[in-house]
Amino acid sequence: MKIEILYPEFCNLNGDMGNVKYLKKCLPEAEFIETAIDEEPAFCTQESISLIYMGTLSERSQEIVIKKLMPYKQKIEELIENGQVFLFTGNSVEVLGKYIENEDGSKVEGLGIFDIYAKRDMLHRHNSFFLGNYEDIELLGFKSQFTMLYGDNSNNYFSKVEMGIGINKESKLEGIRKNNFIGTYIIGPVLILNPKFTLKLLNLMKVEEPKLAFEKEVLEAYEVRYKKFKELAAKGK
Amino acid sequence: MNQKKTLRFYITLWIAKFSSFTLKLLRRNATYFPGKIALTLCPNFMGMLDKPKTIIGVTGTNGKTTTCNMINNILEQNGFDFINNKYGSNIDGGIATTLIQGVNFLGKSKKDLAVLEIDERSANKVFPYLTPTYLICTNLFRDSLMRNAHTEFISDILNKYIPKETIMIENADDIICSHIAENNKKIYFSIDKLETDTKSCENITRDIRVCPNCLTKLKYDYVRYHHIGKAYCPNCGYKCPENVDYRITNIDLKNMQITVISKDTEEIYDIVNSNIINIYNMLAVIAVLKQLNLTAKQINDSFAKIKIVETRYSEEQYKDYKIITQLAKGMNPIACSIAFNYTRKEPGNKAVIMILDDLHEEANGSENTAWHYDADYEFLNDESIKQIIIAGPRYLDSYIRLLMADINPEKIVHERDILQATSKLKLENLEKIFILHDLYSIEETKQIKQKVKEIIDEKK
Repeated sequence: MKIEILYPEFCNLNGDMGNVKYLKKCLPEAEFIETAIDEEPAFCTQESISLIYMGTLSERSQEIVIKKLMPYKQKIEELIENGQVFLFTGNSVEVLGKYIENEDGSKVEGLGIFDIYAKRDMLHRHNSFFLGNYEDIELLGFKSQFTMLYGDNSNNYFSKVEMGIGINKESKLEGIRKNNFIGTYIIGPVLILNPKFTLKLLNLMKVEEPKLAFEKEVLEAYEVRYKKFKELAAKGK
Repeated sequence: MNQKKTLRFYITLWIAKFSSFTLKLLRRNATYFPGKIALTLCPNFMGMLDKPKTIIGVTGTNGKTTTCNMINNILEQNGFDFINNKYGSNIDGGIATTLIQGVNFLGKSKKDLAVLEIDERSANKVFPYLTPTYLICTNLFRDSLMRNAHTEFISDILNKYIPKETIMIENADDIICSHIAENNKKIYFSIDKLETDTKSCENITRDIRVCPNCLTKLKYDYVRYHHIGKAYCPNCGYKCPENVDYRITNIDLKNMQITVISKDTEEIYDIVNSNIINIYNMLAVIAVLKQLNLTAKQINDSFAKIKIVETRYSEEQYKDYKIITQLAKGMNPIACSIAFNYTRKEPGNKAVIMILDDLHEEANGSENTAWHYDADYEFLNDESIKQIIIAGPRYLDSYIRLLMADINPEKIVHERDILQATSKLKLENLEKIFILHDLYSIEETKQIKQKVKEIIDEKK
């Protein structure tokens, strides 16, 4: 089993590398390919990549990554259509949108794979907790971001919002999902915070008899946080 | 150049002065509100205020408070009359409060010198109105992700707002910090290669991995911690500065002394605290105070008397055990990693009690725990650490993080209640007990320390 981590020298903010660390614990036999910015992505050169992961990155890094991925736009589209499993966390999903707009109205062109665009507001960082539903799973997490995403994701959202925000403050639909592509603004150790989702992801990746690392502990922490977030949601936080 | 004073300015100044007087009369804290109210009533108030002729600013991610405290102590002990925000906040409201204290009712400056700790995130609200003569930048790392996001964001703010007239005093071993305000006049400080330096980075996070000019992977002659060390780009030559003004050439931990070379002059100073970050802080202090023409003797006589404030670091020998309290700021993965590293490298067998949750943040709901995965909990997986006790609201998250660091669960006590957890402390084969705590857990730290003493007493 191969897992590709895209550009970890850039896409490593907000504790997102905790997801990779946890996958290594859950899948000790898997090969983790860390693709650097000057390398051709493994998804172009190798067959059977079980998961392509990209984490949160800085605004300048987004522009670098967009340039590097642009030649592979068609390949990425094909992979998404063919059911390749992707997990993009934090603001990394923005590189696949139409553009990212700065405060002064200037635009950074994205890969244009999804019909969405982002707007930056660098002096107002949004921080919130998140509680939502992905299929039959209640998702928990944190958001911390300078951007909001716009566009119609009503047919390809990742999760319905119970507490917190969707792709923007007015939206109640979080993230992007198309086939097995999952993009979410939830940051940090999403997979550790959400063991039920992680199991689902491992199944999508076609892991035989998937088993969570530290299963008892992560489930206990999940239940405690779930109860807390439910209380917060009831208070309308 | 100050902006012209308006009637609105004078009225605001008098209201702020009156509020400060009233708060002090009521024995309330007057270190933020007067400035805050002034900036609300007159947004460019700071620009109109007369300022001291010389302003020393201290910014950067880690070490600001300790550096300022050392500068303040040395200046006080050498008879300087100056204003500072030692008791106030380091954002615009606190800085305005300090400046208000330094002027009379006509807004004229009463002092010639100011020492100001300036939060790096607040540069956009401070520097348009205030030009530091010297600005120390201790280092730049990722900090609270909720507030400071990442180092590029902070660097951009500093580069945009630091006045071009300000002389920068920068850490030459930090390739991010040493390139801030690139066109300003610079004074660099650095510590020569140490025996403990490594060839590759041991830390999980490094806030700069590739050259910002040509995207080539950076190389290091040596790494000290995170991105601190001698970094360079093998392709385009982007690097840490080589021409350093203040250099530590030797750290003698046995005699607790450092050797500093500046302009071919060699001077010896007593070490205040052996943590490498505090040695950097000392060097920054020396570099700035030399600009005020203080002698090595004047500086060092004060160093010998300085102790790091107890809320940051304390040591107490209690019967057979040394109890060490150390600040490990929650939400700040670098500060925690440095504390973990210091703990593991201290000689002797130890237990570590940790309360790293930001209890201030907890009051607003639940804490964002993403930062745990940028912090080097792996450093606690050390033979000399016999027991780890983790407590507080997010104890389960911390426990999982410790397990992820491959720490034997039998070594770990995890409970929500801090005193209940501390009661499980095992003293066998221990020499030291470390209490690592967050900035907002000072009272809890005292309680833990008291509990540890009771356990030691019971042993006899």
